[in-house]
Amino acid sequence: MTTTMSFHYKHCYKVLLPGLLTLLSVLYALTDSALASSPQRVVSTNLCTDQLLLMLAAPTQIASVSALSLEPASSYMAKSAEQYPVNHARIEELLRFKPDLILASPYNSPSMVTFMRKLGYRVELIKPANTIDDIETNIQQIAIQLGKKNKGDALVRTMRQQLAAIKIQPQRKRPGGLFYQPRGYTSGRGTLQDEALRRSGWRNLASEAGIRGYQHIDLETLLRLRPVHIFTSAYAAGTDSLAQRLLYHPALRHLTAGTPITNIDYKYWICGGPMITQAIRLLAKARPVQ
Amino acid sequence: MKSLHSINQRQLLVTLALLLVLLAISSLLIGSEPWPMIQALFSHPDQRSSILALILTEVRLPRVLIATLAGATLGLCGAAMQGLLRNPLATPGLTGSASGAALGAVIALYFGLSSRFALALPVAGMFGSLLAMVLVYLLAGRDASVTTLILAGVAINTLAMALISLLLNLAPSPYAVQELVLWMLGSVTDRSLNDLWIMLPGTLLGWLLMLGCGHGLDALTLGEETAASMGIGLNRLRWQLFIAIALAVGSAVSITGSIGFIGLVVPHLMRPLVGYQPGRLLTISALGGAIMLLLADLAVRLIPAATEIKVGVLTAVVGAPFFLWLIIRSRRSQT
Repeated sequence: MTTTMSFHYKHCYKVLLPGLLTLLSVLYALTDSALASSPQRVVSTNLCTDQLLLMLAAPTQIASVSALSLEPASSYMAKSAEQYPVNHARIEELLRFKPDLILASPYNSPSMVTFMRKLGYRVELIKPANTIDDIETNIQQIAIQLGKKNKGDALVRTMRQQLAAIKIQPQRKRPGGLFYQPRGYTSGRGTLQDEALRRSGWRNLASEAGIRGYQHIDLETLLRLRPVHIFTSAYAAGTDSLAQRLLYHPALRHLTAGTPITNIDYKYWICGGPMITQAIRLLAKARPVQ
Repeated sequence: MKSLHSINQRQLLVTLALLLVLLAISSLLIGSEPWPMIQALFSHPDQRSSILALILTEVRLPRVLIATLAGATLGLCGAAMQGLLRNPLATPGLTGSASGAALGAVIALYFGLSSRFALALPVAGMFGSLLAMVLVYLLAGRDASVTTLILAGVAINTLAMALISLLLNLAPSPYAVQELVLWMLGSVTDRSLNDLWIMLPGTLLGWLLMLGCGHGLDALTLGEETAASMGIGLNRLRWQLFIAIALAVGSAVSITGSIGFIGLVVPHLMRPLVGYQPGRLLTISALGGAIMLLLADLAVRLIPAATEIKVGVLTAVVGAPFFLWLIIRSRRSQT
């Protein structure tokens, strides 16, 4: 019985193996043809497209990333950006890479975009993300451009799982917080920080005070909103300016009863990407225990 | 006649002082949104006292006191310089002492000196101020005509501003470049009591030194030789005033940036009121300068704008036409 069985197995193996090989080769041919049509010399000209490109593309697809992507305070992917040549979004520079896809943001110079398009280059504009939905859209859009749809879907899935894993204890009263940046800017409705605050169990007092987008908030107004916690994403630690000194105003310390301003690094949200989940986790952790 | 005049002087002093106190109190009550103090009194019955106290003591009080000190300094220094150089256009703004102070402050603040040693900020401001003033004085010469003085002042001001702009571009902080406007136009917004303590000693010392020069300045109106024969050491008077101005302007500008035209306009407005005596003009101009800056700062808070207008914008809008008028008048008197 056992002998027949083993023979049977071996036989199966012999039949299956060539079949498996043909299947693999067919699959390989399919992906190969997909690769043939997907871009192979992608140049990203903007910090935010850099991030998603570095997450989604195969290393061989990337021809160049923007110079800012090496800056660890604002670039989440700074480490993996190191192996690629950088560009400064200047036309002559871009031409040298002979790109078959240029990723840009509406913040890039419009003349660069028009000029490259006029020369027949494919330029894709990726809008900056202001919500987590925007982030998902951008990931999927870039993934499709790169011929990496599956990788994009997987990234979105992981991001959703990570978001779901952040446990927010239901509280009787949600604590009120807000963002305060050097030069006195805050994040109101329609910003990533606003969504992150709300998803991590905070009230964003800036939005509730009617502030939309990224706007200046008067110090007195901030005090009257009475946040129990103030967050910032100041970068360039160790440097000094009047803008940065504002965060050390004694009134702020008195207001939050000595609780220092919590810094949540810029790299998590200067560009919308899956790293937003880490920022939300940090915000959730900062909530006062009741 | 003389007694009547001195009574007028006392009345003038009291009136201006009362006006200053009144303005300071309304500055404490009026915020960026009109009448929030009154609004606040009717809302948030819990905790309101503590938040009101916080806004009053930590935000508005330093702002009012810094505006008063800086305004008085500029008015006083304008009067002193105009008396010393006997030149209606000699002011901290035009003779480089304000932009020199701003340059010193920029060096100290953006390159990490003042974060290690807080007093480095006003001290650097004082040195910058003194250096610029002495340079203009050497360039223009002792009995400079109005034109020479302005030209020397323009040269030093431009150089100081160019260096400030260069340094802010080179500064390690990414926020530095955007602060050029602040140093050029000045602002008293969002200052803290710490800033007040930083600027206070130099300012007060400078004032004392300057007010001690009143007699010398009065004598100087009779000409340098007559003043010398009256026992006024001209060299000493000159250096005492230069150092006093450097102390006061250096401290004030390193906290507020260079606020223009107060030093020019206020002494001119006050001069007829004190019978053209430079010694008397000093105190009156200090009061007038404080009043003018407090008024400008109040206006800045009440003008509705998305981000607050810099107070120096307002003093320049008022001051620049006045400056033009002075030039036109001096040209008429020359021809």
